[in-house]
Amino acid sequence: MSKAKAKNQRVKQFHLTKVALALGLVLLLLLPVLSHYSDYVLQVFTHALLLATLALAWNILSVSGSISLGHAAFFGVGAYGSALLSLDLGVSPWVTIPLGGLLAAAVAMIMALLCLRLRSAYFALATLAFVEIPKVITDNWNGLTRGSLGLVGLPGLPSLRLGSYHFDISGSPTGSYYFVLCYGLVLLLLVAVIFRSNLGLALQAIREEEVAAEAVGIQVQQYRLLSLLLSGFFTGITGACYAHLVRYIEPGLVYGLHFSAIPMVFAICGGRFTILGPALAALVLYPLDQFIFHPLLPAGHEFLYGAVIILAILFMPSGFWGRLRKGHLVSIKTGSIE
Amino acid sequence: MSLLRLEALSKKFGDHWALKEIDFSIGQGEIIGLVGPNGAGKTTLFNLITGRHRSNSGRVFFAEEDITSCRPHEIHRLGISRTFQSSRPFAKMSALENVVVGCVFRAEFHLFTRATDIDTAKQLLELVGLSHKVVTPAGDLTLSEQRRLDLARALASQPRLLLLDEVVAGFSPLAVKQAVELVRRVRERGVTLFIIDHFLSLSLRVSDRLLALDHGEKVAEGSPQEVMRNREVIRAYLGMRYEDEQHGA
Repeated sequence: MSKAKAKNQRVKQFHLTKVALALGLVLLLLLPVLSHYSDYVLQVFTHALLLATLALAWNILSVSGSISLGHAAFFGVGAYGSALLSLDLGVSPWVTIPLGGLLAAAVAMIMALLCLRLRSAYFALATLAFVEIPKVITDNWNGLTRGSLGLVGLPGLPSLRLGSYHFDISGSPTGSYYFVLCYGLVLLLLVAVIFRSNLGLALQAIREEEVAAEAVGIQVQQYRLLSLLLSGFFTGITGACYAHLVRYIEPGLVYGLHFSAIPMVFAICGGRFTILGPALAALVLYPLDQFIFHPLLPAGHEFLYGAVIILAILFMPSGFWGRLRKGHLVSIKTGSIE
Repeated sequence: MSLLRLEALSKKFGDHWALKEIDFSIGQGEIIGLVGPNGAGKTTLFNLITGRHRSNSGRVFFAEEDITSCRPHEIHRLGISRTFQSSRPFAKMSALENVVVGCVFRAEFHLFTRATDIDTAKQLLELVGLSHKVVTPAGDLTLSEQRRLDLARALASQPRLLLLDEVVAGFSPLAVKQAVELVRRVRERGVTLFIIDHFLSLSLRVSDRLLALDHGEKVAEGSPQEVMRNREVIRAYLGMRYEDEQHGA
């Protein structure tokens, strides 16, 4: 009897979260109207969405058990690759953004050769050090990258034409916002497909028990490599989008610790082993930081991230979304509600 | 024709020979017990067969195919599964997911589609008596449940040869009895079994033949009765004095 009751409650909660998610999506879609086309609000949420894609991409690697502190390498290479190709060769950003992703994947391959034999804290520390390689190269290869001065006046994203309809992306905050929202939704879908596929099962098995994973036929190193390449590729895409949206980059910024640490903060707060958690955390925490903590504490507003990560690790190690989803990522429907 | 054949298989850890020149073969459909005191090299032998460790010399043949230098996932796909001495569940994944993972990675599978073996996995959970724990995270199961989950996961790939490492260690007499039943049911599915059993509680009841190791060397092989009467085996298990009292004077 009490078991049936508990199940009933879980069903109720499940429907509630579904309704809340649908409502959240509607709010995001209507945000420009709801905010009366406020440039400030739209810019904050555009950046929040970019950070959400960063957290989603980071989590593709993290679900296999490897914590990276070096994703700024992919972000920076994606940003610089796409920026230089479009600036120097005059290629459209629609072409250079995927190329930036591929360059980042190539850098992920190098990282794999150097770091992937390591595990846990050793892997994390090696990736943290790894960022210095592309950073130092970008900083000093003046002929190619203009060095530490950075790049200004990057081409924005060209507007899309659909018949007579003209969709402006870089020129208007609303256009930029919808562009990043679309990218975010596509990436979310891809992450869901990956996590729920056989590859997702394999990555989770590797995370939980590598020796057993190998013994049930999983090619541990190949799949760890694949998850790192996918993660690096999408992080590079996000970096390239950032370059063409902000239209100004410099090595200290795009290779900064910020872009390595922030996806980890969001993933851990939202729930590393969940599909949605990292993105949700980005969409909640970044606006919270910008709208509330930044005006209150202009110099030290980022303490918020430090505080939430400590609180999450102490009181909610599976993240808030992970907690709602009963602590573990369920890839397989069993007929009952998980 | 033998299903598994070991030829002069040796393994050295540092200066210590963990296994020395082991020759042995297992026929299709047999149940073989691998016995011997602690440190005899039983688990090392399993690790060599499954490719987790590389041998220093000697060869392993499975269905007449040389698998000595194959990687663990390749050996698994050829049809050898194993369980572990201390079970190694995928702790945060549900019992069902654990078994599904066992089903998926066989010879052919699609990396980016969803697993479809859910019914097979449920049947296996039923076989090992865990059908009421389908959604429980494997890490929350009791030790004996985790061992049975290990077994279900190993069976999931429909192996031809199953290596069981101490499945009944620490089991109550009743649980051992259930395990005996389970092993017989597994054999009825056409699976050949190689069972490490330090305390002999399982292997004496189900094995067709025993292989006894001591200090990395083969000391006896044959029917359970023969092996248990073997002087070397008695000495290995019970020590010199007991053996002297039995045979001395």
